[in-house]
Amino acid sequence: MTRLSRRAALAGAAAASALLPARPLMAQPKTTLKVIWMGWPEGQVKPLMDSFRRAQPEVELQVETIPFVQIFQTLEVRLGARTPDPDIFICDSPLTASYAARGHLMDLTPYLDAGRFTKSAIEAASWQGKIYSAPFGSSCPVLFYNKKLLREAGIAFPPADVAKRWTWEELVEAAKKLTDPAKNQWGFSFEQQERPYMLLPLAQSLGGVALSPDGFKASGYIDSPPFIEAYSFMQKLYTEWKVSPPGLFDPNLPVEQFGNGKIALLVAGTFNEATIKNKYPDIEFGVAPYPRFAKGKAVTPTGAWHIGVNPRTRHPKEALAFIEHFMSHELQVLWFELRPYPPVLKSVWEKEAKRFETDMWKIVRFELEHTAVPRPATPGFREYEDILRTALRDITTGADVAKTLSAAAQRIDRELEKYKA
Amino acid sequence: MKHGFRESWVIVALFLAPALLGLALFRLAPILIALIGGFTGTRLTGETVWVGLQNYERLVSDPAFWNSVRITLLFNVIINPLQILIALGLALLVLRPTPLVPLFRAAYMAPMTVSLSLTSILWAILLEPTMGPVNGLLRALGVPPQPFWRSEEQALATLIAVASWKGVGYWMVFLLAGLLLVPKELHEAAMIDGASAWQRFRWVTLPLMRRPLAFVLVADTAANFLLFAPMYLITQGGPNGATALLMFEAYQAAFTYLDRGRALALSTVILLVIGLLAVLELRLLRERES
Amino acid sequence: MTISDLRRLFVAFVRYLALVLVATVLLLPIYWLVVASFRPAADIFATSSSVSLATLVPERLTLDHWREAWSGELPRAVANSLFVALTTAGLGVLINSLAGFAFAVFEFPLKRVIFAFVLATFMMPFESIVIPLYMLVRGLALTDTYAALILPEVASGLVIFLFRQFFAAVPKELYEAARIDGASWLQIWWRLTLPLSGPTIATASLMLFVHQWDAFFWPLVAAPSQERIVVQVAIARNVTLEVANWGALFASASTAILLALIPFLLLQRFYLRTITAASER
Repeated sequence: MTRLSRRAALAGAAAASALLPARPLMAQPKTTLKVIWMGWPEGQVKPLMDSFRRAQPEVELQVETIPFVQIFQTLEVRLGARTPDPDIFICDSPLTASYAARGHLMDLTPYLDAGRFTKSAIEAASWQGKIYSAPFGSSCPVLFYNKKLLREAGIAFPPADVAKRWTWEELVEAAKKLTDPAKNQWGFSFEQQERPYMLLPLAQSLGGVALSPDGFKASGYIDSPPFIEAYSFMQKLYTEWKVSPPGLFDPNLPVEQFGNGKIALLVAGTFNEATIKNKYPDIEFGVAPYPRFAKGKAVTPTGAWHIGVNPRTRHPKEALAFIEHFMSHELQVLWFELRPYPPVLKSVWEKEAKRFETDMWKIVRFELEHTAVPRPATPGFREYEDILRTALRDITTGADVAKTLSAAAQRIDRELEKYKA
Repeated sequence: MKHGFRESWVIVALFLAPALLGLALFRLAPILIALIGGFTGTRLTGETVWVGLQNYERLVSDPAFWNSVRITLLFNVIINPLQILIALGLALLVLRPTPLVPLFRAAYMAPMTVSLSLTSILWAILLEPTMGPVNGLLRALGVPPQPFWRSEEQALATLIAVASWKGVGYWMVFLLAGLLLVPKELHEAAMIDGASAWQRFRWVTLPLMRRPLAFVLVADTAANFLLFAPMYLITQGGPNGATALLMFEAYQAAFTYLDRGRALALSTVILLVIGLLAVLELRLLRERES
Repeated sequence: MTISDLRRLFVAFVRYLALVLVATVLLLPIYWLVVASFRPAADIFATSSSVSLATLVPERLTLDHWREAWSGELPRAVANSLFVALTTAGLGVLINSLAGFAFAVFEFPLKRVIFAFVLATFMMPFESIVIPLYMLVRGLALTDTYAALILPEVASGLVIFLFRQFFAAVPKELYEAARIDGASWLQIWWRLTLPLSGPTIATASLMLFVHQWDAFFWPLVAAPSQERIVVQVAIARNVTLEVANWGALFASASTAILLALIPFLLLQRFYLRTITAASER
């Protein structure tokens, strides 16, 4: 009896201490969480981390911000060493399955309320029915157009109304009129001329499926008729109609050319709105939805940065507190103010509605709810992306579309083999 | 080569120990682990399993590997002699410190202060097919724009040119240091004997430059075999495999295809090829026993 | 004016013409980059595709990018990189020249085998040894210290090789004479070989310095905290997939390039001194 009551008392005390705010009592050794973060400017990182520091003063944060060009390699080395370090890391959403399959992500299903997030965000965070990464931002490309150049060419602006969105066929006709080789002026460009992220929807618009549902087979998918048709169309932008500048693979360069009035129509991510406004205040531009094929449906890409927890962490409680804090409404509003990725929390869209009354945000909100398709969930996404990316590159420079795609499909199948066991 | 001094091992060890300890710990031990890793595979869960020669068997049966080997050898057969000849030419050009020459020396070394990744970013922009200044210049001269990095035919040549832009000043430094160590008296004596400039270079300078040249040849070979930043940042090994050098393949295997065994097998091949070439190059330039 | 005077004049003219041409090819890209860092953001690529005088001479100038670059983490990164690169160069010259001296001067058992191992250390792709190296540095509890950045780079097979090759230029007779005078080998290395090897030491320190100045991947793996940031990392922070801050990128890159040129200018004096010293003897 005494023993039981003693145990009860202990349990009670433990529960009570869990409820109480952190006691600033003795100088307990602080817990340190190591965080690997994207190399965004310090002003977009520190306020978030400081917010957590204020909420959990007993936890110390050691934040490492890694430049984009080396973030995946650095994570491979650090996670590949299979140590408890880092506790938290920024995770590109389509790599969720890759990290999860290799045991680098803690299952967050019990700790996240899926109902709070947009559907596409939860899909992008899931692998085999479980949520492995905490959605932290989303993405959506739109069509930017240079009003002056369209006016000069006598072209009506593409409608911002998602129901009346331009078809690719309409876009090409406009682009032909907007192209002027003598002035090195181009009608149209993708921001990412080679990345599956921006180009998969072309084929998906025609009913193509990016990968088998189990995530292991590309043959019969990326080399199917919709893909061949879509990417033949894409190839003609460069080789036949010559409306797109070839080989501009650095995604930051087409944006500069748009700003310099050398590209009239640009399909690019929403973050470019701020870039163009700040860098090129003289450019008058409008925003319209991502086009679809005349006979196809509207499909847009999505997914962006998520947050992962290392399952080997020695401080799971603190790491989960970090996730909880970063998933809070207040922090996600702060994050949107710092770096306006499309929000993943429904509450941000609802409570901050007045921020989203512009054409662009109305489009984005619609796309995320109705047309967004995350990249395929497969542990071999890095391999898939790289092989398809190389194939798309070669297609833009005139390679045989059907042959290139089927060779890529076979290579992907071979690479994905290793994840089946 | 004249025989060196025979000293007690204590003296020799004293000289060797600091550097060799560092090398053993921070280079040889990891290399040994990597070499062994070439015979292993990694399970998804991270356990390493012994697979014997399987990684190597897969390599030799993979046409992409042989394409890489072919391109890597082609690249090196051209770039190494090219860089060293240019570097030697530059070193001779700036050897005599007449007015302004020190400034030119510094100017020639300037590209080596530009890091490899920045070199790649810079030359990707300069050689862009549509917006690059080089094509702007060509257009102004009435020459049609060239695709450079973006064409199967020009990509490797572009890579050689850009790597040489960065490299020749660097190798010049070593050759210049070598030339400065050639005693002036020998030249003066040869001049009194009526030797022409070419004869002096051929029979006085060159024999004394064997060792610096051997160093530059071996170091340059290693540097060019291990180059991969331009492929990673600009060409992705393309177009159509035109710049798929072995080192880039190894990098891709490690960080994109997450196939550690293959990456380490490729690294081992790279080590062996550089080592073999180094032995050949050192043989070629060894001082003849006199 | 005699014919030989004319000939000499002509040779000098051709030589300086070649000097200028080569300098143009090598410097123009750097010039473009440095100038771009002073252009307003909207102007950086405005003149790139149609070449005119404006491509070379900016019409509008701004210090915004430099202010932006310098108000961030760049000063800290420059200080860190300078410290790391100078320490590595200093320590590296000492220990690698000792080893290079031994390979050049002494005869000892297994010399060729040991030397082969030394050469092999710079022939392995760094990327394939980075995981074991990281685990080693972690095991030594050195992660996120300056030591993690410096120690693995001090001993260098390439620099040992350099010293071995160039020390051979010192005549063996000098060593014999010094030995007869009763000098110890350490004294000979310090008082005889090193002072006679000015250009060699200069090039070796350059190699070590530039290697650390360009370091990018290893610092991210081994010491990635804000306090230990190095210069190439600070430069790369200006580019993400979504936005490239070209102005700040070029300003910070220009900083790195111009600062790294200083050792090269210092090297010039080293070269001149050696020559005069040699000719006075």
